[in-house]
Amino acid sequence: MADLRDQTIGFRLRREWPAYVYLLPTILVLLFLNAYPVAYTIYISLTDFGTGGKGSLLSYHYIGLTNYVYALTTGWSTTLALVENSFFWAAGSVVLFLLIGLALATVLNQEIRGKTVYRTVILLPWAMPAFITILVWSNMWGYEYGLINGILHSVGIAPVDWLQHTDTAWAALFVTNVWLSFPFYTVVFVATMQAIPKDLYEAASIDGASGFSQFFRITLPFLRPTIIFVGLMGFLFTFNNFYPIYLITSGGPGISTQIFITESYNQAFGSLGATPAFSTAALYSVIDFVIIIAITVVVIWRTDLTRNWLK
Amino acid sequence: MKTRRARKWVRLGKRVVSHLVLILACAFALFPIYFIVITSFSTLPIASITAQVLIPKLSQFSTASYHAILFSQSPSFTSLLWNSTIFAGSSAAIGLLLAAFTGFALSKFNFPGRRTFVYFILLISLFPSFVLILPFYLEFAKLGLIDSYLGLIIPYSAGAVVFSGILVKNYMDSIPDDIEEAALVDGLGRTGAFFRVLLPLCYPILGLAAFLAFVGPYSDYALAHVFLTSSDKWTLALGLYNVASTDSGASNYGLVTAFAIVMSLPIVAFYMAFQRYIIGGLTLGAVRG
Repeated sequence: MADLRDQTIGFRLRREWPAYVYLLPTILVLLFLNAYPVAYTIYISLTDFGTGGKGSLLSYHYIGLTNYVYALTTGWSTTLALVENSFFWAAGSVVLFLLIGLALATVLNQEIRGKTVYRTVILLPWAMPAFITILVWSNMWGYEYGLINGILHSVGIAPVDWLQHTDTAWAALFVTNVWLSFPFYTVVFVATMQAIPKDLYEAASIDGASGFSQFFRITLPFLRPTIIFVGLMGFLFTFNNFYPIYLITSGGPGISTQIFITESYNQAFGSLGATPAFSTAALYSVIDFVIIIAITVVVIWRTDLTRNWLK
Repeated sequence: MKTRRARKWVRLGKRVVSHLVLILACAFALFPIYFIVITSFSTLPIASITAQVLIPKLSQFSTASYHAILFSQSPSFTSLLWNSTIFAGSSAAIGLLLAAFTGFALSKFNFPGRRTFVYFILLISLFPSFVLILPFYLEFAKLGLIDSYLGLIIPYSAGAVVFSGILVKNYMDSIPDDIEEAALVDGLGRTGAFFRVLLPLCYPILGLAAFLAFVGPYSDYALAHVFLTSSDKWTLALGLYNVASTDSGASNYGLVTAFAIVMSLPIVAFYMAFQRYIIGGLTLGAVRG
């Protein structure tokens, strides 16, 4: 309500205490279903749960930082691959989202016939549950029965074994991911562009500024906060976007497209019959969220992104 | 005169290029969806797929795949649908209630610790939810909650609270304090003002939050796959995965695509009907000058 920051804590407590009652259920949820599981994961990563040989699922031991030392020495090549893949996957996707979203939004923001139809059609991929469409895409990338190779075949190009080579596997992932996300970015950018005052452009064109320089001098600076915001959110989301990798490449070939989150899931719940390597899974989870938190903290600290949240 | 004509050509060229770009984008957006629809309605036990499947033939029209999906699956489609509705519906309801309280407290109160709390849930909301599957699994196994309805509803509703809470808070921030103050002057307490005045104003965002909290569990595979061991508790997502992974080449393409369509139809319909609302609600924090 009114700015009470200068008033004493005691006064504010007396006046604002019902807030704690409203927050109580959420605080309990955050404690028991977020904070506690995170702490428990950290603990598991310090044990030999599932990795200590026979019987380690029934009784496991605290082994200190052994798993972390392993990840930095003997297991370093895997750790490094996961770091590289996670960053490549997230950064590559976001760059594509932003470029394609900006380009399409610029085109869509003009006076153009059929605008509503274009907009509606472009939104369709985003309206379908991602799990379903990713499953369909993973069928489409198939070697023998996939639609993509079917189309290539019809125009006389030899079929490509998409998921068996690192480069083409990444290509398949990025194309699928762009398909999933470009609608949202396009629509967000169009919405922001519509908020730019029209007279800025009128003044600019009277001064003889070309379309290009209008884009770089007016549109882009105006979009900057939105670009940073959705870019960051997109990065954090994609860094842990599980389904495309799990369903399309399963991290293959080898682990060349594996990221932390999918590797962690595989270690814990991957192969039936094998002993689930819970401590390795926990280890990769912990590394994953240390990276996420580091990025988030730096961004919150260096930008005014949260200004809006703390009004 | 000459420059004027040249400018006219430039403008025409620009328009042609614009339409070309948009048509390309639409084609890219549509072709997998088109492919799903066409395939689901055709008899297609063929050796390999070529681009020819994209040209529908009336002689191949068939609803057999839909029949097979709806009436001769095991576990039955009704059972999958029922389970999905239970999980997603109850999680959305619980998550929504908590989100409304959270949004109210964070938006309309200035309690000590508010700033810290907002930072905290912001940080939590960025946490990869998939990371929590492992500790949930291990803890719930101890508590005997694996393969039970409650065991999935708890993590699902927890997942909805944080994000929806932020959505509701942002929306309530845009409601002027005068409205609440007027209600207080009229003799309503703060709780009364919340339930009778503020909450009704928030119906649009609560609708969106409920929908998003529904879609999450509705299309979740990762958690359900780990938690639900007996097939009579399976959800639609598990059913779809099962159909897609008992793969015998192209023979079950029809089944997968028909399933995909039936399962996504209600969600797509909702998105398309309320697209403006949804985009407006989601971008409340993102779009600002």
